[in-house]
This record gives sequence, C-alpha cells and structure tokens, in this order.
Amino acid sequence: MSADLQWLLVRNSNAFMVKRVREGPIFSKEPGNPMNIHSYKYSGLVNTKTIDVQESPSGIQVTTKTTKASPHAVKGSKRTSSIRNNSGSRRSFGIASSHAKRGYRSDLRKAVIARVSALQEARSVKKPQPEKKVRGKKAKAASA
Amino acid sequence: MASRPTVTVRSASGEAGSSLPLPAVLTAPIRLDVVQQVHKSMAKNKRQPYAVSEKAGHQTSAESWGTGRAVARIPRVGGSGTHRSGQAAFGNMCRGGRMFAPTKVWRRWHVKINQNQRRFAVASALAATALPSLVLARGHRVEEVHEIPLVIGSSIESAKKTRQVAEALAAVGALSDVKKSAASKKLRAGKGKMRGRRHRARRGPLIVYNEDAGIVRAARNLPGVEVCQVTRLNLLQLAPGGHVGRFVVWTEGAFARLEEVWGTGEGPSQLKKDYYLPSSKLANPDVTRLINSAEVQAVVRPAKNSGVQKRPWTQHKNPLKNKLVLFRLNPYAKTVRRQELLKQERKKRLAAAGKKTGDTKKPSAPVAGEAFISTLLAP
Repeated sequence: MSADLQWLLVRNSNAFMVKRVREGPIFSKEPGNPMNIHSYKYSGLVNTKTIDVQESPSGIQVTTKTTKASPHAVKGSKRTSSIRNNSGSRRSFGIASSHAKRGYRSDLRKAVIARVSALQEARSVKKPQPEKKVRGKKAKAASA
Repeated sequence: MASRPTVTVRSASGEAGSSLPLPAVLTAPIRLDVVQQVHKSMAKNKRQPYAVSEKAGHQTSAESWGTGRAVARIPRVGGSGTHRSGQAAFGNMCRGGRMFAPTKVWRRWHVKINQNQRRFAVASALAATALPSLVLARGHRVEEVHEIPLVIGSSIESAKKTRQVAEALAAVGALSDVKKSAASKKLRAGKGKMRGRRHRARRGPLIVYNEDAGIVRAARNLPGVEVCQVTRLNLLQLAPGGHVGRFVVWTEGAFARLEEVWGTGEGPSQLKKDYYLPSSKLANPDVTRLINSAEVQAVVRPAKNSGVQKRPWTQHKNPLKNKLVLFRLNPYAKTVRRQELLKQERKKRLAAAGKKTGDTKKPSAPVAGEAFISTLLAP
C-alpha cells in the first residue's frame, strides 16, 4: 500500500498524536519523526524511508529503514549508525547528513542535523561561569 | 505483481520456518468510512432497551382551570393544603411534568447492516492488520515482532497452559503488547464500576486460531488478549472503537484458511456464498510513482515559461533598500547617487596621489556675528 494512502489512514487519529493546544500545532511522538511534528513529510510511521534520531546511553542512534525491506517487515528492517558520546560536532553532523548525501531523504537533512545538534547540546555539560572579580571599593574593603 | 509476497511462519520457540503466501484478503482496500459506519451500527446492536416510566409525570389528577383566572391554561393540580395544589402539571415545561416525547422501550434499537457492507468492513479491517504502520498507529507494541502479519506454527493451538502461550508470544516478540495491556488496567470512571465493568484496559493481541485444542482456555486469561476462530472474525475485535489495525497473531492453520474463507480475489469464497473480495479502484495507488512513471512523463508537455515566472501578486519592495524601486519613485535620486559615487572616486584618486583628502577649507569663524549673539543673549 502506498505511503500516501497510509497517511490518509493514520492522519486523523493515531496513538502518537499530541494535541494539547486547541488551535495549536499537532505534534507526534512516533519514532522516526525528526521534528516531532504530525505531518506526512516527517511521519516515521508511513514513509518507506525514515531517519530516526534517538538518544541512548552509548551515544546518539541514527536509525534508517532499509529500502529493500518488505513492507511487512518490522524488526529486521532497520539500520543503525551511532554517534559516540565523545564525538565532536563535525563528525556527528557528518554521520547525520550522510544519508542525505547518498540521496536517502535529502529533504530531512536540516531536520536531522538540527535534532542531532539539539541532543548534543543537551548532553554537553556547561562550564561554570568564572567567579566575578571584585573591583574598586569592594576590592579595597576585601583586601583590608 | 510478479510474485506473491509470502509470510514466514514462526515456531512457538520463535524460529522462522516455512512460509505461506499472503492471502488476498490482506491486500483488500482499506475503507475507513465503511469500517467506521459498520462499527457504529454493530456497536448499537448490543444496547439494552431503556425508557422512562410510562406513568412518570402523569400521576396527578390535574385539570386546566380554563380562561378567566389570569393564569395559563395548563392543567393544574387541584385541592389545597400543600404546595403542589395549583401548580401546573403534565407538560414538558412543568416542574414534575413528563418529559417531551417520553422514551419508549420499543425504540428501534437494532440497525440492519447490509451483509456485503459488513463483509467489506471486516475485509478492510483484516487488510489493516497486515500493515505495520497501521498496527503501530493503533498503539500496539510490535517493535520486536519480525514481520506483520505474525503467523505462529499450529502447535500453539494445542497449548493447554497460559504460560505456554505467554512463552510463545514472548519468543515471537508479541508479549510486550500483552504487558502494555496489563500495565494499562485502570479503575473505570462512573457507575460501570458497580455493574460488572470495574476495570478498563487497552486491547492486546487478538489470537486467531483454526482448531481449538486448548488455545482458547490457555490464552484468554492473558490481559488484553482475545481469541477468535478464523471463520468467525468480528469487526468489533478487528477494529476496536472503529480504529483499524488490531495486532493479530495468526496460527498457521488459521492463516492458511483465509483464502478459503474470503476467496482469492479472483475466485469466490468457499464459505460465503457468491462472495468476492472488494477490489481497489486503482491498481497502483502510489501517486508519486504514477506521476514519475515513464508512461506519464512521455506524454506530458514541457512546462510553459519555465525559467522566469511572473508572480501573480505584486510584491512590496522597500525603496530604501531596492534601488530600482527608489529610482522609479524618485528619478532625481539617481543623479544624487551618481554624484556621490563620482565624489567618492575623486576622493580616492586624490588619496592615491598623496594629497590631503577632504575639503581644504576650514570652518574659520562662527557663522553668527558678535553683534547677533549679544542681541540674542541680551537680558
């Protein structure tokens, strides 16, 4: 069954939809949705090619659906490449955009890189701000 | 279709074994509207009749006072000595009156559903159980299942113990859906609690068997699991709530019989008299693929005025930033701009020649004279 038709079937109701604000955007919790937005383009359920970016303790996992898998296959139909925890941004963006480079959902390039970037940003430990140097009168008072 | 897709049969311990062809009913068109309408009608057939009491609102001997007493001519309760006397009665607008159009137990509770429509709905719901995306979209936990539809060898039909069924489901990756059901058990809101419907829980897998050699009793105590015989498939189980994509676990025997029960697509069903499966309007519903096909692309005309296309609406351009728009509005601006450029160039040339740039004249004296300023500041 074509992805277009499947989208028509899951568009109006599915278990992953998040409608919180009445007139607001509809979000999606489905795996393989890089923007978490309920739309055909980003849908991880119906598209035959999807790029899933998830965090795991060992690093960020970038999972794609294999193109040659049967439409009925579920478990064995995925390929995972992982971005290790100590990878820098250049390397991880390379992995994130490698699928797009090969012509696999190049329309998702920006979204996937943004998601990887956000996950890395969230993981990085912020340096503490340096202590403020006291100047002027306070410095004099402190030294005295 | 070059070759018919096949489905792997997994043993109760989870290994892949032989394979079966995908029955035609699992590729039937999925019509949500048909499923929803039939589901709605079927759900109505379970209702129990209810009505208000026949006597309600009429247990008083009220009569109208007629005209002339400056009150409405509604029937009024007679007598004295109580608040009720003199109050209006019977009417639906009256306190203590009967309702408008009192409900009757002989309301038409059941809805007839055309047989072909009912079968269409079940075929649609069955086809939806064979698509992983729809099963996931219904909320079933099938990420660990290798393939959907999921077929288990027929030995499971003779399972005598619930544990055996649970182990088999775990081996094929279907137990997480049962666990989801178990974890979802909640106390029902409202009075259903005291009417034998104390808890509510998500639906788990539906096990479809061919011959019951113990599977029904063995499986039915698993939370959320329902068991059904392959010739008695029911829309209320295949599409609970009218949402297609129930997670179905087939036994090998049941799966092999689907062609017999539903027909092969070309041939009629052997069990349903003169029944043919519905067929799709489009052989290939993939619109993108159709548009990009060689046949369509061979006959399309090239796009007209490709390259430059005039915008159908006029776009506002900022004259402060866009020079062309500025010159159109103010032709003199062009002269100003040109002079400015020339001046800049002159300056540059002078600088290159080593001369002092800028104006040679210095502002020598204040413009206003001594006399003027003294007058201005005079007290």
